[in-house]
Order: sequence, then structure tokens, then C-alpha cells
Amino acid sequence: MTRLILTRLAEAAVSLLLMSVVVFMLARLTGDPVAVLLGDGATQADKAQLTKELGLDRSLPEQYFIFLGHALQGDLGTSIMGDKSPAMQLVLERLPYSLLLASVSLVIALGIGVPLGVAAAVHRGRAVDTGARVLALLGQSIPPFWLGLVLIYVFAVQLGWFRTSGFGGPDRIVLPAITMALFSLAAIVRLIRSSMIEGLTSEYVKLARAKGLSEPAVIWGHAFRNSVFPVVSFMGAFFATMITGAVVIETIFAWPGVGRLALDSILRRDFAVIQAVVLTITTLYIAMNLAVDLIHAWLDPRVREAAR
Amino acid sequence: MGLVVMLAFAALAMAACARPRVDESTLTIAMPTFSDGTFLPWTGGGQRKAYLDPIYDYLCIINPETGEPGPGLAESWATSPDGKVWTFKLRRGVQFQRGYGEVTSADVAYSIKQVMSPASRAGPASPLRRLIKGIETPDAYTVIINLNRPDPELAKGYLANAQQVGIVSAKYVGEVGERQANAAPVGSGSYQLDFFRRDSEIRLKVREDKANIWREAPQFERLVFLAAPEVSTRVAMLKTGEADIAPVSYDDIDDVKRVGLRVRSIPQSWSPVVRMGGLVQEGTRYETKNPWADVRVRQAMNYAIDKDAIIKRIFHGEGRIAASDTPVEAWAGLPPYPYDPAKAKDLLKEAGYPDGFTLTLKTFTTNPGAELPTVAQAVALYWRAVGIRVSIELIDWTSLRTAWTSGAARTYVWTHRGFPFTSAQNGLEAGFEAKSLFASYSTPELQALIDAHSAELDPVKRREKLVEIGAYLRDQAGNVFIAHINEPYAISAKVGDWTITSSNALNFEHIVRAAPGSAP
Repeated sequence: MTRLILTRLAEAAVSLLLMSVVVFMLARLTGDPVAVLLGDGATQADKAQLTKELGLDRSLPEQYFIFLGHALQGDLGTSIMGDKSPAMQLVLERLPYSLLLASVSLVIALGIGVPLGVAAAVHRGRAVDTGARVLALLGQSIPPFWLGLVLIYVFAVQLGWFRTSGFGGPDRIVLPAITMALFSLAAIVRLIRSSMIEGLTSEYVKLARAKGLSEPAVIWGHAFRNSVFPVVSFMGAFFATMITGAVVIETIFAWPGVGRLALDSILRRDFAVIQAVVLTITTLYIAMNLAVDLIHAWLDPRVREAAR
Repeated sequence: MGLVVMLAFAALAMAACARPRVDESTLTIAMPTFSDGTFLPWTGGGQRKAYLDPIYDYLCIINPETGEPGPGLAESWATSPDGKVWTFKLRRGVQFQRGYGEVTSADVAYSIKQVMSPASRAGPASPLRRLIKGIETPDAYTVIINLNRPDPELAKGYLANAQQVGIVSAKYVGEVGERQANAAPVGSGSYQLDFFRRDSEIRLKVREDKANIWREAPQFERLVFLAAPEVSTRVAMLKTGEADIAPVSYDDIDDVKRVGLRVRSIPQSWSPVVRMGGLVQEGTRYETKNPWADVRVRQAMNYAIDKDAIIKRIFHGEGRIAASDTPVEAWAGLPPYPYDPAKAKDLLKEAGYPDGFTLTLKTFTTNPGAELPTVAQAVALYWRAVGIRVSIELIDWTSLRTAWTSGAARTYVWTHRGFPFTSAQNGLEAGFEAKSLFASYSTPELQALIDAHSAELDPVKRREKLVEIGAYLRDQAGNVFIAHINEPYAISAKVGDWTITSSNALNFEHIVRAAPGSAP
């Protein structure tokens, strides 16, 4: 297990380094923050001065190595905007909001998706199965921006059950969390249903039934345990996406998360913040993948054996 | 487990099953963005003024009726005969919040210097640096500003409340440092910052030392600004009572009126316009090979567009046909280009383009200005009808701005939004002087006209020269002028009188609370 972790950490370091090069170069190819900052009537001299102040008059390799040198000391630079806040501080300010929204969404997705997927497999071809498949289809095909607006209209405007948007009490998180959860819920239902159907017809389940185990014990203790692997793999990667990639949902629900920060910083060409966001996302993905590997190893003795 | 989760959420729903209680002492404003989300005048752009103006005061306050400057922190002012020296006499006894003492000339000088400093992120920083030679403070209540050139409009321009020179406490910023002052600003306005969550919420409350409010007493204890980028969300917030004021789209006007909300429009707050590359006659920014380098082609491009139809169809009638890229009072009488496709075709033929030509029209969305891509499509269709074949490219504003300010936007045209300036001179300097990177049209003749206007101190002659500049720009078709557009805000029954000076001075802090039971 230790070897597995060490290998993954070494891979993570290389990934982060490569990602830092890619994001550094791509961000600079798409525009110039100086143009964003120049005010009315600014002149060529103002532009030259600002370019120098931001260090953008240096060559790209020189800029990159300066960035890398600071990054290795934990300094990812400062935002070009306003109070010139440290870029990482801006990301860390937003991360708790994104984590909260993603976590609640995950609970909804798993809480509904897992039992529904199992029920659909157990009662294959019956009403619950049809309902689950329709839900899965809708969940993966309804655009989040549309769903979000419909939820706001029905549950906030018409029924008045929840607030429309913003961060605050629990009445503000339910609608964005449901909007975010629906896609992953649909995926979970499909994954669980298909692997449960396979599991329920397998030899080990037949053996369990032949041994006289109760049906719940067969379903949850045997079939489900083997069906859960694809969901774990899926959710690992998807959770990171939920944290960082919810730009549309955060925009509709005015949620102050990392997604909006990423979008705003890209639009402003706020290089330091873009780099901090992307490196944070990369780190999250790596951490999630590592967590998935560890959970696999914990659930499946064959993986543990292979890692030795 | 699923059942448990569903029940939990049902319970949550029941617990939350109530619309927000109407708090009569709080005015909530939903905004598309907080922009920089900083609280010092020089640490960001003018979009922040909605929430900075309640905190800070300005030397002069523009009269919404006349457009002329009235006393603010300055009780009176005078200019030297050559227009290069301005002397402001400050109001005595105005106190900064949190006990930071009286507003003095040192604070005014400090604030102006900060806004014009090279590190400033304020919009007018660069022109102010060129304009102001030095600031003297002979006593605590006198500020003398020496200029490099005459500016008879300084009091209604850069130093008025439609611009960004809010007066801060020099003592406070010196004591706590800029970072802390940004997080907890101290001004002399009626409100102080109570709470801030970046890109989410700004809460202002009436300053704790209410006795020191020198302007009219605020009618709301709290002003809450909520960032809601999506317009549909803002409309929903208005409908549920979560917001009292919010900008809405033109398509939403009928909808919000149907549910009993009122709509208040900021008159002529922005102008959709098409700028043409390569028309700044200076260095590499000048491109003579474009068809529109010929004035007849530019005029044809203006004649070809049915601006009235654009105003009616896209902007629901909220605007007026324009003969300029920004509304200037002196230009109000200039006749706009009428819709005359036959004349447009004749002009193209005369210019050597009987079969028209092809061009690229770049467009983007911004705020206000979400309709610019739709305007671009309408313009393209009108141009197509006279033979100008248009390829529309959707681009983000920053990329276009980068190209524009680097001189690379020479061979195409683009939609843009013009903003009003309380001082026409400031607008001319930004948009039509070759030294400005944001100039879209500039010629030696135009520069001579601007210089003559700038040097003229007699108000009547000055106005005549300004009219001459407007006529020149119109006749030369420096841009494709379309309309001066109003910006609609939906408002709840809580909002009574709301006097808007301009899009740069929304005066949320002076909104009068509607009388209870008054009709919406």
C-alpha cells in the first residue's frame, strides 16, 4: 500500500509540473491582462508601464521560471485585480463553498441513485426499473442551466419553499445541489443497475441463495458489494468536477464557488489566479484518484495483492 | 437510505417553507457583478460606484436635472482666467466615519493623487496624470489644483460624483495600510461597510455616528448588494422579494410589469455602436486599404441600418436613434443618418464598390450590452441588403480589447458600447484622440477641433466648438452610430423616489422609501 501511495505521489508531482507549463503558456496565448486594466484614455506609455509592473515585459521562459521558483515556495502570485490578493488565498476562500455544494450534491446523488439503481436491477422490467431508466435518461440529457432555472421558477418563485440564489442558510443550497446532483445521480443509477444485473445472475449470488441467505443479504451483502466498484471510480473523478467545474450552476444560483472564480479570472486574463485554480483542480483530481485507488484496495483484496 | 435523504430534504423544505420576510429598513439590490470587489476608489474600475458612492463623498455633485456640478465636499470653486488653476473651498465640519476626523484639504489631495497614481486601477488615472500638474493645500479647507492644460469642465468631470475620485481619509489609510483600508473602508458618506463576501454579498449600514451625516438622512438602515450574474435569477429574486432593485433585460420588461413590479430606466446609459478598425491616423493603427477608409463607405454603412427597428425590436423601444457614439447634450440636435438603403448603395457604387465587399464583424457580450451579438446580427442583415457581406465572429471582450489596444484591430469592425461622460471633453479624449489606445477614429483635423475646444474657455464658444466636433464625427461617420439606449431596472413597491444622475451615479443611497400602502 505504501508503495502504491508513493508511486501515485511521484506521478502527481510530474503531473503538476506538466500542468503548470501547459496552463502558464495557454493563459498567455489568449490575451493580455494589461488590456483589461487600462482605463479610459490610456496611452502607449501607460501600457508599457503596466506591462513592466506586471512583469509581462520579460520573455515567457523567464516569466515561467520566476513563477515556478515562487510556486515551489508556496507563492502562486497575486491577482491583477483590485487589492492584489494572493491568488491562492482567492482560491482557498472559494473552495469551502464549492466543497459544501459538491458534498451535498454527492449525498443526494448517492442517497437516491444507489437504492434506485439497486431497486431497478432487482425489479428489472417493472415500473421502478422503467422509472429509474427514465430518470437516468433525463438526468443525463437535461442541461443544468435549464433545470436550474425551472427549479428556481417552481420551488422559489411559485411555491416559495427555497431562496432563489446566493449563499446562506439551508434554503439556499437545496436547489443548486439538486441541479448539480441530477447528472451524477443518473450516472450512478445506470452504473449500479447494469453491474447489479450482472451480479445478480452470477455464480456467487446463486451460491449465496443456495446457502439459504435472505434476499436482502444476497442483494446488499454480495451483489451490491461487487457492483459498487464502477461507482467508486466514477464518483472519484466526478466529485472533483463537481467542486471545480460547476460554472453554470454557480452562475445561475449566484453561488460564490471556484467555478465562477475560474471563469472570471479567465475572462480577465488574471494569470496568477488562473494558474492557482488549475493547479488546485489538478491536485484535487490527483487526490481523488488516489482516494479511489485506496478505496478499491480496501474493498478488493485482489487490488491489495497486486499492489504488493 | 434514499428515502431517508428524501425525507430529510422534505423536512428541510418544510422548515424553509416561507418567502423572505419583507424588511422595510433594508434595500436589496441585485447586481450582475461586483467587478473588482474592492473598496478604495483607486483599486478598481467605475462599475463599483454603485456600492462605493454610499461610502464616499465627492468634491462636486452633478445636478441630475441640469447636468451641472453643485456643491459636494467642496462648497465653492473658482478657476483662473487661463483655466489652468482650480481652487476648491471645502465644506467645514464634515467628519469621516469611525472617528477619523474632519475631511480636510490633505485628504482631498491624497485621494486625487492616489486615483491618478501609476499603481491606480481607476478608469481616469491616465488622463488625470496628464491633466494635473500639482496639488497645493494652503490651508485645511482650500485645495488648489494646477493643470497642464485648461480644463473648464474639471468640476463636472473628473472631480464630480459621476467619476471615481471619492475622498478617503488619508490618516486612516496611512494608519492601517491599503490592504486593511480596502477591507474596511472609511469615507465621509452616509453608509459604512458592514459585511462583504467576495462575488456574493455586500452589506452597508448607516454609519454608526449618525449625527455626522451631513447630507440628507438615508431612508434605509441597510443597503444590501447581491451579486447575481444571471438575469433570470435576478428576475426571480425580484418576484420573490429577495431583491428590491435589479437590472433586467429588455425581454423581461413586460414580465416584471405583469407581476406588479415597476421599471425604471436609466436614460441613455449606453450606446451600441460599431467601431471600425484602422481609422486612427497614427502610426500602425492607420489602415488605408480597408473599404471603410473611404468616408463614403462609412456613410453608406450608417445609411444602411434601420436604427429605429433595432430600438423597437431588440430594445423594446428603450432608446433613441443616435448621431454620435455617446450622448452629449450639445449633440442632441444633430440629425442622425436616416435609414436609406438606396443612398447607401449609391454611395458604395460611388466609392468603387458597386458589388459591395466582405468584412468581419466581431462581437461580444458584456454588461450592459448582452444584446450586442443580436445587434451585430441585425446590422449584418442590413448591410447584406446593400451588398456588404458580413462574417460575424463571436469573441470575448478581453481578446478584442487586447487587439484594440495593441493596434491589431485594423482590418475588421466590431460592436462596442459607448458610455456617457458628464464632461464631453473627457469622452473626446478617451475615444477620439490618437494618443488614447481606445481611440476608434482620429484625424489631424479632428484633433485640431478637439484642441480648439479644449482651449476655449468662453462657455458659448465652447459649446459651438463642441457642436462642430459632433457634426464632424457624424459627417465623417467616424463610427456606425446606432442608438442611445436606456438601461431598465425593475423595482419593488418598497422603492419610492429614485433620482438617477447617470449610469455612473445611480444614487442608491438617496432612494426614498415608498409610503406604506402606496400604489406600485
